[in-house]
Amino acid sequence: MLRVVVWTVALAAAAVTVAIVREDPGDSLAGDSVIGLTAEVAAGLLLMAAALVTRLSGAFRVLAAFAAVAWLLVEWNSPGTGAAFTVGLVLFAAWPPLLAHAALRYRTRSLSRPAIALLALGYVNSLLVLGVGSALFFDPVEQGCLACPVNHLLAAAHPEVVHDLGRVGLSIAAVWSAAFVGLALAGLAHATSTRRRVEMPVVLPATAAVALFGARALHGSTRGFVSNDPTDRRLWPAQVAALALVAAGLLWERLRARRMRGELARLVVELGHSPPPGGLRDRLAETFGDPSLQLLHARDDVSGWLDGDGRPAELPKDPDRHVTRLLAGGRELAALVHRPGLFEDPALAGEVADAALLALEHERLNAIRRNQLESLRASRARIVATADAERRLLERDLHDGAQQCLATVAVGIRLARRQVASGDEGLDAELGAAEEGLREALGELRELAHGLIPSVLAHEGLGPALEALADRSPRLVVREIPAERFAAAVESAAYFVVAESLRRSGDGDVAVSARRDNGRLLIDLETANDSVGSTTDLEDRVGAVGGTLTRTAHQLSVELPCES
Amino acid sequence: MRVVIADDEALLRDGLARLLEDAGFEVVGRCGDAEQLLRMVDKRRPDVAVVDIRMPPNNTDDGLVAAQEIRRRHPGIGALVLSHHLEPHYAMRLLEEVPERAGYLLKERVSDIAVLADALHRIHEGECVVDPTIVSRLVARKRGRGPLDVLTEREREVLALIAEGLSNTAIGERMFLSPKTVEAHISQIFMKLDLRPGPDQHRRVLAVLAYLRAS
Repeated sequence: MLRVVVWTVALAAAAVTVAIVREDPGDSLAGDSVIGLTAEVAAGLLLMAAALVTRLSGAFRVLAAFAAVAWLLVEWNSPGTGAAFTVGLVLFAAWPPLLAHAALRYRTRSLSRPAIALLALGYVNSLLVLGVGSALFFDPVEQGCLACPVNHLLAAAHPEVVHDLGRVGLSIAAVWSAAFVGLALAGLAHATSTRRRVEMPVVLPATAAVALFGARALHGSTRGFVSNDPTDRRLWPAQVAALALVAAGLLWERLRARRMRGELARLVVELGHSPPPGGLRDRLAETFGDPSLQLLHARDDVSGWLDGDGRPAELPKDPDRHVTRLLAGGRELAALVHRPGLFEDPALAGEVADAALLALEHERLNAIRRNQLESLRASRARIVATADAERRLLERDLHDGAQQCLATVAVGIRLARRQVASGDEGLDAELGAAEEGLREALGELRELAHGLIPSVLAHEGLGPALEALADRSPRLVVREIPAERFAAAVESAAYFVVAESLRRSGDGDVAVSARRDNGRLLIDLETANDSVGSTTDLEDRVGAVGGTLTRTAHQLSVELPCES
Repeated sequence: MRVVIADDEALLRDGLARLLEDAGFEVVGRCGDAEQLLRMVDKRRPDVAVVDIRMPPNNTDDGLVAAQEIRRRHPGIGALVLSHHLEPHYAMRLLEEVPERAGYLLKERVSDIAVLADALHRIHEGECVVDPTIVSRLVARKRGRGPLDVLTEREREVLALIAEGLSNTAIGERMFLSPKTVEAHISQIFMKLDLRPGPDQHRRVLAVLAYLRAS
């Protein structure tokens, strides 16, 4: 709706301008050349179109649209204008401050103090000094323009005031233009290279247009008004061209953004529905040519970030690493950590978020899922580690406590037996039986302690522990065992899977082979019958160290990561 | 025979000392941890050290480590490790480096003075002794292919008895064989296990090691 209104205003202004110039080409800037008139009107309409299609901030678009309309009013202060003459008198110099304002707001969120002061001066000078101020005292008939329409703002005819205001206003306009050119060029000079590359196509022609206006103001400052003398007419086409270039620069930026968006969209399509973990990061790094680019995902349970593998990550404090947040629906979705200057164009980050929205969501959910799985695994690992520590403690207590006591008692009984008077064979036999009982108890305690956690597992490793298990249970056939040591958690997980499977497999043989292969410990168990039963607890143990357990009828296969 | 006893349980240590003294051994030292043991052995030069596997400071296998150290430092001094663990791997560790004059018995033998005395004498004579319970477990074991596959069932039984520390005569009595037959079996075993000719005791020890390694 707004677009329709804006276009109606712009087209109406253009139509009026065409009518004015055609009516009185001699008093116009465009003159009687059709090309000149077409170029003049087209430049304004082009700027309007560019302002409407660009995806930049609202303030910039409004300013650019106003500048476009104001541009179309420059011919309205000529005698052929008719009813719109007063509008032309007030607004004929409005476009330079508007265009300058738009250029300073191009891709920036705020204005510096000098910029605000300069713009204020420009508006006041153009609208109040050269515009309303002059119009209040300008009587066209009095000043010799018999063909001029009526000035509806005329309060009192004071030609000398109009002349002074014109001279002062145009002098200020010339100085103001020079100041703006300096400010704009200094801004470009101090910008990063990326930013400069993005801003130049728009800011440079806008600066040129304002500079040309300044030149014409200087040219007119002695006589007190801007005219269409030969010098003006020579400068005018350059001014038209500069404005057209501003519009072209905006359209070019828009095209560039679209192309980037297209590239992003293609990249997202290439990634498919299930990109590999970190796949999006790699493609973004490639697309933007920053191998150090990091993609971090926003967590949704707590505030914070996750990397592609679901590990918690921090945004960098390093000033050499910049962070650009990607938003979708007002919500932070992801953050790109990159080299400085990569996303200084704020629209680009928006393009990335738009184009890669699905892939970003997908990766983010994956990262969150991985994070949850990892915390689950860590919690399982803690439970298992606690249980193992308890077992070790119990095993030690059995050896150091109960077994030592029993052994001491056994020695005591043996000493007592030596003092039994010879002939008291009944007592000696009873003591002998007690001794035998103690020996059995010691044997049972030893087996109990070993069943809790074999000390050979901690001291000698998985291979010897499995051998020891086979020594105790002849049903276990050891086919292959690794000679090397693994992390304690991996060794105990592997051992317990074998020991438990053996315990649950009834009276059939169990064959085990364990070997290291490519950073993993592989354990294959073959059972004669399918009676191992539920393996949930074994899966817990294996899962606690990040491993997997798969089983078929007579086979149990365990894979444990054991990167050393 | 002069022995030292190392066990962190004082009551057990003293009881064992009295038993051994009654059986005719001269107990020249008692101590409760591995460091003391090593110092005592250096100073008093016993014939054999009787060592509990679990001792301070770590209470894991400190006794075994100390026994290995004694065997390294003093080739003439024997070491008998008393252990809670049935695993042949601990026995292996003790015998691997210096296979003579070493023994590994389960802790419950401590009151069986006849077995203990016999083991100490064998160790003093240069043999190695492994607890019969461990050896019988090894015999019962189902195994894949190994160096012992070349032996006959009979020869394997003889080898198991050698590992327990039995003399040829004792093996003959146990298996109802004549000493000549036992000797024939033993020389077959030595040949099949590719044990080079040498002092007979030494080859017996190597055969035991081969047996343990095959487990």
